[in-house]
Amino acid sequence: MQGTDQQAYDRGTTIFSPDGRLYQVEYAREAVGQGAPVVGVRGEDSVVLAAHAPDRSPLAADGDTEKVSGVDDHVAVAGAGHAADTRQLVDLARRRAQQERVRYGERVPVDELATAVADHLQEYTQSGGARPYGTALLVAGHDGTPGLVEIDPSGATRSWRADAVGSGASDAIERFEDGYGPALGDGDALALVLDGLDAAVGELDAADVDATLVTSTGTERVGEDRLRAAHESAS
Amino acid sequence: MLFRPWAFALVVRPTHHSDDRTAGQTGGERRPLHERDPGLVEDSGSAADAAETGTTVVGVTTEDAAVLAADQRASVGGGRFVTNKDTRKVEQIHPTAAAALSGTVGHLQQFVRVLRSESRLYADRRGDPPSLTALSTLAGGVLRSSPLAVSPLLGGVDEERGPAVFTLDGGGGVLTDDYAAGGSGMQLAYGVLEQDYEPDLAPSEARQVAARAVGSASERDTASGNGVTVATVTREGVETDEYDAVEEVA
Repeated sequence: MQGTDQQAYDRGTTIFSPDGRLYQVEYAREAVGQGAPVVGVRGEDSVVLAAHAPDRSPLAADGDTEKVSGVDDHVAVAGAGHAADTRQLVDLARRRAQQERVRYGERVPVDELATAVADHLQEYTQSGGARPYGTALLVAGHDGTPGLVEIDPSGATRSWRADAVGSGASDAIERFEDGYGPALGDGDALALVLDGLDAAVGELDAADVDATLVTSTGTERVGEDRLRAAHESAS
Repeated sequence: MLFRPWAFALVVRPTHHSDDRTAGQTGGERRPLHERDPGLVEDSGSAADAAETGTTVVGVTTEDAAVLAADQRASVGGGRFVTNKDTRKVEQIHPTAAAALSGTVGHLQQFVRVLRSESRLYADRRGDPPSLTALSTLAGGVLRSSPLAVSPLLGGVDEERGPAVFTLDGGGGVLTDDYAAGGSGMQLAYGVLEQDYEPDLAPSEARQVAARAVGSASERDTASGNGVTVATVTREGVETDEYDAVEEVA
């Protein structure tokens, strides 16, 4: 009887279990945990975001799969979990960033952008008939100061100095806790981010990494040579 | 009997959940901003005291560049009174395109904000900024679907067309030409362009011809004057210069 009862509470997103949990949201977090990892490190004046994107098959034709997406001039977003869910949220972020330009003539602040996306996720934990998003995002941006924000499927946001989502995230975070120091330069932040990704996937190949560096001058995709050099310097 | 919460969970979607969720916020449709939110390009009602540019705008193409020029006056009452002597009417809207604008000041400022954002959103979504064909079609679509009182010239460079100039009108018409003029001083500017335009002008000559056309109109059109803004668009980007007098343009 107990088993049946518990199962009941996960049928609808909007139903709390007696101990105050939203099972659908927790299942969404499980989906995130199975996704390819995404890691981010905030340095002194920059943020690096990196995702693991190995070629699954030599037949795959889109080779250069974009895992870290640019939003306006100053933000990069990547998600772990359901890729299609992530894609919708990336487009939401891109629209929100341009609305800010039209409304106020300014770049959207990183926290504001993250909150706007998170508000959208939150709606899906409170209205019936829809499932929550099965993705967690890292939002890296520079709006005067560098910022790194995690958004989880519940719509919660939190700022981090270094963070990881997806499979192996706890290993990456452990590595960050050991390796993070104050005043990381661009190169140090890049090396640490790759170190974390290495911990998450084990035996990281720089060719499988999509990384973006965000500084006060904008976003810049990190080329493979630089990734390789940074990864070797770290290990 | 056992309480079955799922029997209630699957009943009805809240009303806010239906249309604006599927068609609006997420939706599969990656539409331009102004289509999702027509309020961006709606008219709040034309105020009688709204400043207008009156304006003379000119666009000229050369082999490697598109040059746009405009005067710097804003006025009310069709040039009866000058409300501003340092109005910027040539604005970059794309990495390799700019607009020279005439019409109601508030409308053209909003038009510029919307086009810049649409270009940027297009580039974020697709990896590259829109082609001149896409940009001019988009700009025409904005004007056709909105009551904005703006008649811009677009000038830019892309791979497909090289340098190009477009005239746009309030009905959404998009026409391309080697050179063009617009605004209240248009006839005077065309007089200079018909005399001096040649297809093989050097960029500096094109800038001078465009500035002379604006300068000539500024002499006789009361809604144009107070200096010249000249933008030169090449594959490398948009460079904008301001001059107090036509003779200074090089």
